[in-house]
Amino acid sequence: MAPSSQQVIDEIRRIARQELELECPVDAGDELIRDLQLDSLGLTILAVGLEDRFRIKLTEEDSARVSTVADLANLVARRAAEERA
Amino acid sequence: MKGPPAPKAKFSNLTEALAAAALSDYGVTFVNMREEEQHLPWSEAYQRARRAASALMTLGVRAGDRVAIILPTAPSFIDAFFGVLLAGAIPVPLYPPVRLGRLDEYYAATARMISLVGARLAITDARLRRLLGKAIEASRPEMGCYTAESLLVDGAQAEALPHQLCLIQFSSGSTVDPKPVALSQENLVAQCAILNAHINASATSREVGVSWLPLYHDMGLIGCLLSAVYYPAPLVLIPPENFLARPALWLRAISRHRGTASASPSFGYSLCNHRIRDEELDGVDLSCWRIALNGAEPVSVQAMRTFARRFGRWGFKAQALTPGYGLAEATLAVSYSAPERPVQALSVDPLELAREGKVRSGSFEIASVGMPVAGVEVEVRGEPGESLPDCRVGRIFMRGPSVMAGYFGNPSATARAVVAGWLDTGDLGFIHRGELYVCGRAKDLVIIRGANHQPQEFEACLDPLEGVRKGCVVALGFTPEAADGEQLLILAERSAIGAPPDLEERIRKAVLDGTGVRAHTVRILEPGTLPRTSSGKMRRGEALRRFLAAELRPPQPVNVVRLAGRLVQSALAYAKIELGHES
Repeated sequence: MAPSSQQVIDEIRRIARQELELECPVDAGDELIRDLQLDSLGLTILAVGLEDRFRIKLTEEDSARVSTVADLANLVARRAAEERA
Repeated sequence: MKGPPAPKAKFSNLTEALAAAALSDYGVTFVNMREEEQHLPWSEAYQRARRAASALMTLGVRAGDRVAIILPTAPSFIDAFFGVLLAGAIPVPLYPPVRLGRLDEYYAATARMISLVGARLAITDARLRRLLGKAIEASRPEMGCYTAESLLVDGAQAEALPHQLCLIQFSSGSTVDPKPVALSQENLVAQCAILNAHINASATSREVGVSWLPLYHDMGLIGCLLSAVYYPAPLVLIPPENFLARPALWLRAISRHRGTASASPSFGYSLCNHRIRDEELDGVDLSCWRIALNGAEPVSVQAMRTFARRFGRWGFKAQALTPGYGLAEATLAVSYSAPERPVQALSVDPLELAREGKVRSGSFEIASVGMPVAGVEVEVRGEPGESLPDCRVGRIFMRGPSVMAGYFGNPSATARAVVAGWLDTGDLGFIHRGELYVCGRAKDLVIIRGANHQPQEFEACLDPLEGVRKGCVVALGFTPEAADGEQLLILAERSAIGAPPDLEERIRKAVLDGTGVRAHTVRILEPGTLPRTSSGKMRRGEALRRFLAAELRPPQPVNVVRLAGRLVQSALAYAKIELGHES
């Protein structure tokens, strides 16, 4: 079954805490770059981590549509639903 | 100081090397995130490359044409790269976009690089092709953009037509002043022969290479892929983004394939230190790993020590760590420490080093990057160009068979970099007991995680920022004590009319937002503090020297006047308050 946006947000929080070692809380409205201060390494770890966990492919074009944690979670959930359809 | 005599190259060009590798039983193996593997024997890689070459020639690609290659670490890269080579054209590998990264800067930088080399064609894959539209539109390669897959449709196989110029690699990929380093066939085969001699010197069995390094960068492309073809040896490749997301993939692949040689910049070793969990290494045995090269960015003694301690439990041998030094303009390697000996480090006084350019003992550890590789001569020179004695810091010059043919299409930049066969590396260092130590940089370059950045990339982000004095910012690379590698330092003068209290935070955000790189240290300075040339240009190297020497001070006389002014203002303010109270 395709994951819900909330499940994706939970995974983003896990990656942020365990892989990126971010100490600040991660809110759905946070911007990846501005608020979470992710650099290109952090963004790559996050993108590849989500791809691996939910078995989807994020394309490079997706970056144009994603600025907040919620944007990313919705995109991943939608893509996962498409791939499983 | 001179390395051993240059070994004689086995081939006169890379296409001969590929043809010879095709007769071996070896090949290249690609590992994905789930450790599923795809094997491509060199024999098949050669056939596919000949088909790609035939297709390219049919399309009208001519000898000497530049062809941009924008592909991930995948068999398609091998097809495109060797296909272009066999067709007598010149491959120009460019980096693919980063997922969730900033696309606008990427388009601009890619278009700039395509235009700069006058690429007639770009090769990519179906996924990236949709995305590259803007970069292709802006740079308009004459023949357009093809996928590597489409080049394999036709079954015809071309005979090799190697061109004298073999490869153009960018030493840094940015919109500001990227430098296309042009390498000849002689440069490449000489470099492969040098690397082979170095690795072979202590080999007891067939080498097995494992690499996660990007193929658009000298260490991954020349040091790993082309070296393995030349040798020939089996090679295991992990896409860099997969390594970054899961560093254990690297060590697990070394163990699984009994890898003997694998390289990384310091940051790769420290990524393993921080991000690999013990349970990811169940059953892993690293005792096969004979040469763990460390180069492409300043070598962190700290990171190497931690790595050796941490992974010793899984059979990793500390003496495998081999620091080295090189640069794109030298094709790749300049010096390497002797294989299979513990890392040699010197503890120096960083203040004395920065102030006087002299080596005295102290608390800051610098790793030896060893002796010149075979056929290479290294000299440390002072300001007027005289050769300096041991333990004196100067500019590192080198000469040898792999000094680049030149910067493509830029003879004046080439003439500045290479004089009478000697390459000015732009790096600072000293010689101590026959070994080279690199301790800084005279050229304007910031190296973060093995990637070269022009300082202007960072500085431009701060131009529109309120509170920063216009144009009075420098971005520099420095290695803080106990850090894992080179870090970004921003020195910014505040505006004379004042600055918001959170200026430092704003600077950090603007740099991250604009470049994707996080600043390690941001220092806000009084106006006039940064050293300038007589024409008012920032002197970055001198600013860094003063920062490290703790000599960054605002101009003295101005300061006294300003201080006096402030005292007067403050006295007036008090007087007003008192007057106010009285009234």
